[in-house]
Amino acid sequence: MPAAASTRLAPGERYLARRRWARVGWIYGSLLLVGLLFIGPFFISLTASLKDNPLEWPFRFQFPQVSPRNWSAAWRLGIQGANDPWLGGWTYGSQIGFEVAYFVPRGTEPTPPQITIPRRKPGAGQGAVIDRPYAADYSEASMPQEIERKPFVYKGESGQLVRYRFQVAYARELPNPEPPEAALKHVSKPRIDRLPADLESPRGQIFISATLDPNRLERRGRVASWDNLTPGYLGYTFRNYVRVFTESRSLETGRSLFLSWTLNTFYFAFVRVLLTLLFASMAGYALARLYLPGKQWVFLLILFGMMVPAQVTFISNYLVLKDGIFGFTNLFGVSTLLGSISGLILVGAIGIDKVFIMKQFFESIPRELEEAALIDGASTSTTFFRIILPLATPALGALTILTFQGAWNEFFWALVILSTGPQNAYSLPLGLYSFRNAYGQVGDWGLILAGSFLSMVPIIILFAVFQRYFVESVSFSGLKG
Amino acid sequence: MRLGRLIEATNAFLFLLPFLLFLAVFVGYGVVRTVYFSLTDYNLFDPPKWVGFQNYVRLFREPDFIRALQHSLAFTLVVTVVQTLFSLLLATVLNQRIRGITFFRTVYYLPSVLSSAAITLIFLWLYQKTGFLNFAVSWVLTYLPLLLTFVGLFVVVQAVQVVFERSRGLPAKPFDLALATASLLLAAAGTFALDLFGVVNPREGVQFKFIWLNTRQEWAGLPIPLWAIVLQNIYTTIPTLMLIYLAGLQDIPKSLYEAASLDGADDWQQFTRITVPMLRPVTFLVITLGLIGTLQVFDQVALISGPGGAPLESTVTLAYYVYNNVFPSGATPKVGLASAAAITLSVLTLVVVLLQRRFGVSERGY
Repeated sequence: MPAAASTRLAPGERYLARRRWARVGWIYGSLLLVGLLFIGPFFISLTASLKDNPLEWPFRFQFPQVSPRNWSAAWRLGIQGANDPWLGGWTYGSQIGFEVAYFVPRGTEPTPPQITIPRRKPGAGQGAVIDRPYAADYSEASMPQEIERKPFVYKGESGQLVRYRFQVAYARELPNPEPPEAALKHVSKPRIDRLPADLESPRGQIFISATLDPNRLERRGRVASWDNLTPGYLGYTFRNYVRVFTESRSLETGRSLFLSWTLNTFYFAFVRVLLTLLFASMAGYALARLYLPGKQWVFLLILFGMMVPAQVTFISNYLVLKDGIFGFTNLFGVSTLLGSISGLILVGAIGIDKVFIMKQFFESIPRELEEAALIDGASTSTTFFRIILPLATPALGALTILTFQGAWNEFFWALVILSTGPQNAYSLPLGLYSFRNAYGQVGDWGLILAGSFLSMVPIIILFAVFQRYFVESVSFSGLKG
Repeated sequence: MRLGRLIEATNAFLFLLPFLLFLAVFVGYGVVRTVYFSLTDYNLFDPPKWVGFQNYVRLFREPDFIRALQHSLAFTLVVTVVQTLFSLLLATVLNQRIRGITFFRTVYYLPSVLSSAAITLIFLWLYQKTGFLNFAVSWVLTYLPLLLTFVGLFVVVQAVQVVFERSRGLPAKPFDLALATASLLLAAAGTFALDLFGVVNPREGVQFKFIWLNTRQEWAGLPIPLWAIVLQNIYTTIPTLMLIYLAGLQDIPKSLYEAASLDGADDWQQFTRITVPMLRPVTFLVITLGLIGTLQVFDQVALISGPGGAPLESTVTLAYYVYNNVFPSGATPKVGLASAAAITLSVLTLVVVLLQRRFGVSERGY
């Protein structure tokens, strides 16, 4: 810089170069800043979705679930508990070893902590309704054995650090005799999902650390509480994500609701895309190219249809689907289309705006090709399916993406058509809505956030693969319209 | 020839048939029936009773409807104006021929492909009393003295530099970026030093725990929970509109800017005299899409309101009012009233779009 400053020559070469570099730097800087603004909230909430309490104050970026020490401990405990390092569990014959350290102030005699294996329901909502065997009925914990004592200073107070070791074993074959009906329902050695534990320290001793960090410290830190001593890596770090699958189960079949919702949504989006691709391009082609008296009226109808809000047509469509489209579906033994994905597919089967896009597209390709085909004696449908459609690949690509995205995210129609039906027939957005209503009250935000992020995964993968087409499809639907 | 025409017309009809059936059953029949329902007293179970225009008269006496109407109109106005301005601004910044710009565009677009349900739930968490939004505001308030010091130092250093450069006869503008880089670093170092020596300190114990959702309080005439939805909506729509603007910006001939710059027009003049007028057709599209989308806002309202969220009367919009009267929880459906509200909503949409076309930005260019 001093070299350039010393030259008396006004705007010199280096001066200009310096300004160009500064400009590029500022552009990248502001691009990054704006990117942070748009992606930041997602990153933050993704972080929060891993926490035991996403609403903790102050917000921390360092918490047990992101510490590698806990990852390896969870992995090891998962193997010890059920030979499953990923999801953990608790199976017959397994035994885990666990260590925990307490600070004992000078002058206090170290006393081992009290271990309880509580009968704790997993979460609220649907998770709490289904009766699962409790680890408490099958497990036996040994007395903690002191294994080490060393001098330690805690918050300026000197004393000693005492480490204990204890074992929990899946030893009992039959559950406790009480309650009797539970004993009948359980098989003798079930695989148990979770092994919760509470460790109560004697008065005056302070919990310092354990093999695996506890999920909560209760009663002013006197009770360290674990939701699962044998979580496995995923079960610990992505605990809320695993819960999304395990805690929302159909009461009849016991199948994971979230999994059903995902499959439903895939099916819905897939059929939607197929129907739209076929029928919208056919209609668009007829409107763009073929001779038909009264075509301008159809076109007017399309413009009108595009402007009608869903709130105007949903009352009638709800009733139409309720009666199975004027009783038509009775032919197939289905009396109502409410509460079924088929109803959701039908109600928006052919996007009106998609027909419009295809019409605009077909108008933009040259006529000569079809005329050549016609002279060769090809029929209209041959021309369309053999010559025109292959030419329309870019438009069809954009259409696929727009339709899939729209179907995957469809909320209003799903609410109208599916919410009266059984829960396992929901689509993902509606499932998220039911999550929100079930867990919003009790404030189980970990589950709600995890569900939201899981529902985004397919669309993000699609976006990552086809991002160029996504970005282009916007201008396709927007500008050419 | 006539036979050929007939065959072609038959083919065209067959090609259109699935679509026409769909239109007739799910759109045409739907609209006609809703118009009919709006003139009747109907509850989904008993046969409709003809009441003429009573529903429309009753509608404008319903405080709930008036509230929903006010919310929808205010929501539409605020969101459309703000998102249009910001997306234009952002698109202009992003319209650069530099390496890696595609990457940034992709990243910015990501929020727009995600479902409104998932995004709204994330925002529901952000807006909680101890959620991240309040934490971020608390953080800013805590470090406000340092931030202000930083900005102050930056301005002072920049001014000194510009004056110095000019005194040497160099053409330094107030926002000269090369100088600003130096100012930025110096200001950062200065702030760090002042903090280190304890001259400026972060504030202590700032806890901003604003209630965004579970409140009936108002700000600037609108309930605070509705402002929360406004904020979310702007945030999620900007990227899409920005991409539309970007496509429009690419179509403006570079020669216009070159000519203007030869005539001595500065960046701001080029922006207001070339970019904005040339983009007018795109702006028309962006505003129209924005108006339609915001007048019919539903998903965000449905997901934000409820237990752990906002009270419904603070967030209700026209679209939600319609839905809530057809499927009220634990009450008799008022389909007639809801239909009248739905018809009002669609007429309103049409009127607003036409008004904007007539008096706002029209699609005709410069």
